[in-house]
Amino acid sequence: MKRKILAAVLSASMVLTMLVGCGKGSDTSNTSDKATNTRAENQILFSGSSTIAPIMQGMASSYFEKYKTWNKVDSKLPDKNIQIYVSSGGSGQGTAALIDGTTDFGMVARDVKPEEKKKIKDEKEYQIGIDALTIAVNPKNPIVNKMKNFTKQQIVDLFSGKYAKWSDLDASLPNKDVVVITRDLNGGAHEVFQQKIMGDAQVTSKCIQASTMSELVSDIINNEYAIGYASYGVANQNKGKVVPISVDGVSATEANITSGKYPIQRPLLLVVSGKLSDEESAFMKYVQGAEGQKTVSSLGFIPMGEADCCS
Amino acid sequence: MIKVKDRVLKGMVYISLGVTIFLFALIFIYLIIKSIPAINNIGLGGLINLKEKWYPIGATPTFNLLPAICGTLYTSFLATIFAFIFGLSAALMLNFYLPEKFANIIFSFLDMLAGVPSVVFGFIGLSTLVPFLLKHFNLSTGQCILAASIVLGVMLLPFIISTCSESIKLVRDRYEGMSKNAGISKEYFIIHIVFTSIKRSILAGLVMALGRAIGETMAVMMVIGNSAIFPKLLGRGQTIPGITALEMGSIGINEIHLSALYVANLILLIILLILILVSQLLKGNDRI
Repeated sequence: MKRKILAAVLSASMVLTMLVGCGKGSDTSNTSDKATNTRAENQILFSGSSTIAPIMQGMASSYFEKYKTWNKVDSKLPDKNIQIYVSSGGSGQGTAALIDGTTDFGMVARDVKPEEKKKIKDEKEYQIGIDALTIAVNPKNPIVNKMKNFTKQQIVDLFSGKYAKWSDLDASLPNKDVVVITRDLNGGAHEVFQQKIMGDAQVTSKCIQASTMSELVSDIINNEYAIGYASYGVANQNKGKVVPISVDGVSATEANITSGKYPIQRPLLLVVSGKLSDEESAFMKYVQGAEGQKTVSSLGFIPMGEADCCS
Repeated sequence: MIKVKDRVLKGMVYISLGVTIFLFALIFIYLIIKSIPAINNIGLGGLINLKEKWYPIGATPTFNLLPAICGTLYTSFLATIFAFIFGLSAALMLNFYLPEKFANIIFSFLDMLAGVPSVVFGFIGLSTLVPFLLKHFNLSTGQCILAASIVLGVMLLPFIISTCSESIKLVRDRYEGMSKNAGISKEYFIIHIVFTSIKRSILAGLVMALGRAIGETMAVMMVIGNSAIFPKLLGRGQTIPGITALEMGSIGINEIHLSALYVANLILLIILLILILVSQLLKGNDRI
């Protein structure tokens, strides 16, 4: 008897949780409601690029540790806990979530496309830093002692598979396959590489597609004959284990990237729709201020320098 | 009084069942609806053919899913075979040759192995197996179908061992006493009685394992290389769950590319349904 009651209670709770789950589902479909809700609850949501996500995550947690509640940031703000949530899933997801209204900030690690701009109401961009892609090879590859520089055409030929072996590039190099390593071909990083270097040429279908930047770099570290585009930040964290090669005589240094001389670079953007709320502009002040920019450079990206924001 | 309670309980069970079936139907219909734009725009010939590549970007994107379908099936079949060879042997060892106490400890370790997140298997594969294959097989990269199959095979092991053990236990309960009385040796019992009676249920278990292998994403994605080419044992390849996880996040909304990924997963779901059906048919005819 007791058992039966227990079973009944359990199955009742199962059915109830399902119903609750369904109820929530129908809530989120009403996106405009949700957007106002999050504002009312003093939460800020970030969604998008997996390159920017760790930066925002770092800033969000140090911001919370410093202030805990909004009224300590500014006495005009309410006495509520600071809640900043960051979810990563790619630059495309960032703009898609912004269009759907399920996020406050879209993190986009590339230029925002014109068709995206059209769909986002009152689109505004805040650049928080620059990331560059360095053409990186393994230090054991004999090419390190031979060539310090590739021309754009040589990079295209290596990545498109025209030079299948390293000896095709230079006869004195070993007769080994060129192992091309890329990020996923429709991601933000590859889009920049395609646009700035490859042009209309296609990357060889034999390329290894790494799902994260750190996987890409560890692939280069583990494979003597690999070549790939490592993010400036991640390549710097692995100095000595991967060797960056100059492009058309310009090396990937901070000065060359900031001046725009180094070609393969991309902006790190936070995109919003409409006006910032008071909490959001308070946080953006921190992001673009000295402390926020320090986080950007400590993760290996190039900061923008302090800027006047949100006026 | 009791009758009312029974009815309530019965009603709840039915409702739960209904919700489960409804959810499955919903997923299936949703996949079909989302697939339609790709099928209309690219056509089935463009989605499955021998000539083109999977190259979703650029001015003229192509969406050939066949290399990924082949990659998925290749890795899963190979992994199931690996897991079967080692799994059946391990199950026999545990059931017939090890003292029961010791075997029980190992069984609980196997349960733990089944609970390890797949990304851990992928990471171990990437940091040990991939460099090993690169060094000793004279390959250009360590990421290959073989690496993926081995990692996947290890992940299937606990599943295969427990299905095999269950069937073996059933046979033992039924026939071991008789065969001991008849003075039959352990090896004769295993080969002539155990094997013949569990053939079908093991086969059903293998088909289920294959179904699990086909859906595995993370671990395989980390060691297979994700190259959109037709799979070779020591070459790279790509799987359908792999492509989906890799590309889903960075696609803008309402693109044909996204729809093509839905087609890929619709195909995956259909393959899974067929496998489950086959497995049920095999199980139904078993005689122990």
